[in-house]
Amino acid sequence: MWHIAKRELYDNLNSLRFALATVLLFGLMLTNAVVHLREHPVRVQKYHDAITESLNRLRARTDLYEIAQWGPELLHKKPSPLHFCTDGGDIVLPGTIYQSVSRITNDLYTFWYLSYRYRTPNSKNIRPATIKVDWEFVIGYVLSLIAILFTFDSISGERERGTLRLMLANSIPRHTVLLGKFLGALISISAPLTLAVLMNLLIISVSNNVQLDAEAWRRLGIVFFVAVLYLCLFLALGLLVSSRVQQNATSLVILLLIWVSFVVFIPSTLASIASGFSNPMTYDEYRERHDRLYSELGDEYNARLQGTRELPTERMQLTGEYVTKGAARGERLSHERLNQEHAQIQLARSVTRISPVAIVQHLIEAFAGTGFERHRQFVENVQDYAREYREFVGDMDRADPDSPHTIGVREGMSKKPVNPEAVPKFEDRLSLSRDFNTAAVDLLLLVLFFVVFFSGAYLAFVRVEV
Amino acid sequence: MLLTLIRRELLDNLMTFRFAAAILIMLLLVVANTAVLIKDYERRLEAYNTAVQKHRQDLLETKTYSAVGLTAYRPPNPLSIFNVGLDKRLGNTLRVSYLYVPTLWDAWKHGANNAYLNIFASIDIVFIFQGILSLLALVFAYDALAGERERGTLRLVLTHPVRRGHILFAKYISAMLCLLIPLLMCFLLVLIMLTTSASVFLGTDDFFRIGGVIFTSFVYLSLFYLIGMLISAATRRTGTALMLAMFAWGFLVLVYPNMILTAIETDPHTDTETSVYNQIKQIWEEFDRERKQFLANDPVPGEDWDFGLWGDDGYTFWGGTDDSSKLLYYESTGFHFETLKEESEPQVPHAQNYHRFFGLQVTNTADRTWIVRKPALEMIYVQPAKKEQMLLKFSPVGLYDSATEAWTGTDLSGLQDFFMAGQRYQQAVVDYFLDNKIFESRQWFVAAKGEIDWNMLPQFSFQRSDIGTNAKRALPDLFLLLILNLILFAIIFLIFVKSEV
Repeated sequence: MWHIAKRELYDNLNSLRFALATVLLFGLMLTNAVVHLREHPVRVQKYHDAITESLNRLRARTDLYEIAQWGPELLHKKPSPLHFCTDGGDIVLPGTIYQSVSRITNDLYTFWYLSYRYRTPNSKNIRPATIKVDWEFVIGYVLSLIAILFTFDSISGERERGTLRLMLANSIPRHTVLLGKFLGALISISAPLTLAVLMNLLIISVSNNVQLDAEAWRRLGIVFFVAVLYLCLFLALGLLVSSRVQQNATSLVILLLIWVSFVVFIPSTLASIASGFSNPMTYDEYRERHDRLYSELGDEYNARLQGTRELPTERMQLTGEYVTKGAARGERLSHERLNQEHAQIQLARSVTRISPVAIVQHLIEAFAGTGFERHRQFVENVQDYAREYREFVGDMDRADPDSPHTIGVREGMSKKPVNPEAVPKFEDRLSLSRDFNTAAVDLLLLVLFFVVFFSGAYLAFVRVEV
Repeated sequence: MLLTLIRRELLDNLMTFRFAAAILIMLLLVVANTAVLIKDYERRLEAYNTAVQKHRQDLLETKTYSAVGLTAYRPPNPLSIFNVGLDKRLGNTLRVSYLYVPTLWDAWKHGANNAYLNIFASIDIVFIFQGILSLLALVFAYDALAGERERGTLRLVLTHPVRRGHILFAKYISAMLCLLIPLLMCFLLVLIMLTTSASVFLGTDDFFRIGGVIFTSFVYLSLFYLIGMLISAATRRTGTALMLAMFAWGFLVLVYPNMILTAIETDPHTDTETSVYNQIKQIWEEFDRERKQFLANDPVPGEDWDFGLWGDDGYTFWGGTDDSSKLLYYESTGFHFETLKEESEPQVPHAQNYHRFFGLQVTNTADRTWIVRKPALEMIYVQPAKKEQMLLKFSPVGLYDSATEAWTGTDLSGLQDFFMAGQRYQQAVVDYFLDNKIFESRQWFVAAKGEIDWNMLPQFSFQRSDIGTNAKRALPDLFLLLILNLILFAIIFLIFVKSEV
């Protein structure tokens, strides 16, 4: 078997396709590294400026009522140090979560709540649309194409030349031939890939601007493993088609068509079709429900206020109740909309898993800490933080014996100045174990694809007539 | 002889399994995507219609001139099904106000539902052709000459008294005929789906535009076929030819466009941005000073701009924007009353006098800021985009894309047509306000239900540019594609004539 693998390897190493593939991989990885070194410091700087501004505004507040009324300012998503692995559609995903206050009556506003409004810079962008050259692009698109080009003629070509018959005339079992061919192709593609990846990482890690810690290296290791698995999958597919088909040209056309459908058709078209199945709340509907909610709350409040004309304490309590209730209801409504939108995307993303390209995109996104799953994690972090922040306000108020403990009204809350450093600060975190859990399904699916294709290739090759 | 050759080639190509498979996949892709795209278009059209209707209702319910919010809506382009370009991405709602001249960067989107959906790329018909048909053309071409040479049939053909040019020509014609079949079938299917859909209306001009798209696609295909043929003529073995052809495709279609745009650095123009923004801010501050001066000289003592008016349900408002990234800054203040108390009637002429001054000055200020803002926006946003477009044109894909965008009117110029219309409309509204002395009218700030005839206001209308303009925008790229075709054919001819069999 090693003999066959060696022969394949020598064959490939001397071929034109090996040279072209190597040049292509190195060129792309070099571009990726250079661009990352240029753009990443800017991105990190922007993030730091933004959080410093938010923190400064937060620190400027010492009054508990102000803190409770206006909330924790803008919350920003932390850029991943592994941004060069994949961009993950960052231009269309919001990087900031806003807070809102809503008007209950003419001069009464709710406390802050998370409204998940988003603003994407893309609607002002007039530059041509392209895919960013990142690892995802190199692995998902280019590597799979290279895998096809290396295997489409591995069996049908030998059959055309008649060398297959010659080889099988020797006492070599067929599966050994298949495995040898597979290993030969795998080694001859993964060698330039590994070198290109190492060059890319070398350039990135040598620079002072970008620091990669131990966890980042672990993540990179997993991404590389995923890349190799994905490569195996396409090699197996190539072998499968090549052993079923009589002619080289037919094998190539079929493989290219499969490739195009996997890469282009399924991830986009199927996602569009799948997203048509659910209808999340539109913005207009949201506005309408929002306005109705607050006008109802306002009427209710006014009606109940009539009965407390002479009772200042109860008036205060009533106002406080509506201020907090209004915020909770507003947050629930916007959360409902967000959940519906996320569910729509989730569904579309699950459907696209029919394509290994989409699976690999999900996996790389998960481990690089970008993309949609990462965004959901960011939203969850923000929600946890919002809870913590509100608890802090409650605790501070309870700790003050002089306070009337009516949260929602200035007179009803503690007047003691708050130490700005004690206010909880938002910190966006990423955790590998969680990412691994969300990615486990994708990883399994990828392995399953590989097993199916490889056993298909084995069966096809064993039963084929030479 | 030529006919015999063509017939032979045609049969060779048509009767293959690969051809059938390719056509099948193409048709499947086109049908599925057209269905998705038509549905998407219908959704956008519905959102547009609702928005226009709602705007009309809101306008009729407006009670004062100062509270009027005029908005121009951009209808979705039905031809975006062919090449979506910027049609879906850019804003489609443009606020038209006397405070500033509206631009593309001030627009936003109505009916933009789930914004997260943008993480999925949208495919259009041109995108499918760009990728798959070019691949098919290369698959037809790579063994056209090298294959015959390898099998030795080329030598056989050349023993006949047939000219080499004829062989080349026959191969080219027959392959193009073969490629035309899937191309025309796809377009036919799309057209059938478009015309049977109830919501898509296509005019005569649109059919000519689609004709332009088809012709451009044909020229693009021919270019890829010639690239394949060039490789085939220059190499001895089919294996080498195939590899070169595939990598050429990968480079031209997949790698180059993405790599070049990732790699080039765009100048952020931060200095221009800040200086122009400050300039604009200064112009507004100057206006504010003059306004304050005017108020100080006002004979009504002790009052600021509400002139001591009293009324029911009155409110003052402040509007403004302060966005340095799109170089927009303005402020405006005003007030609105449902009814006015009898005793404040003597003050009304003062307020009117102020508003006469205000109207003249504010529109003047808007024009002055526009003089500064227009070239700056051009420099910061439009020029880098044009430069990138230029770089993309080094690949046939870029040429094809921008030519078809120009035909369908979804390119930057096509969309700018709408924003220009918005600017003209803004000018018309301002002129109407000034000519009819709206600013100084009582209805500027006191509600007058039924007194204002909103139908008198200029109406916004937008027509996509005529077919001549589309053609003018598409022709340079189309011409370049044609020239490239000719050059490649000439090179192939030279190589083939000189080559030994």
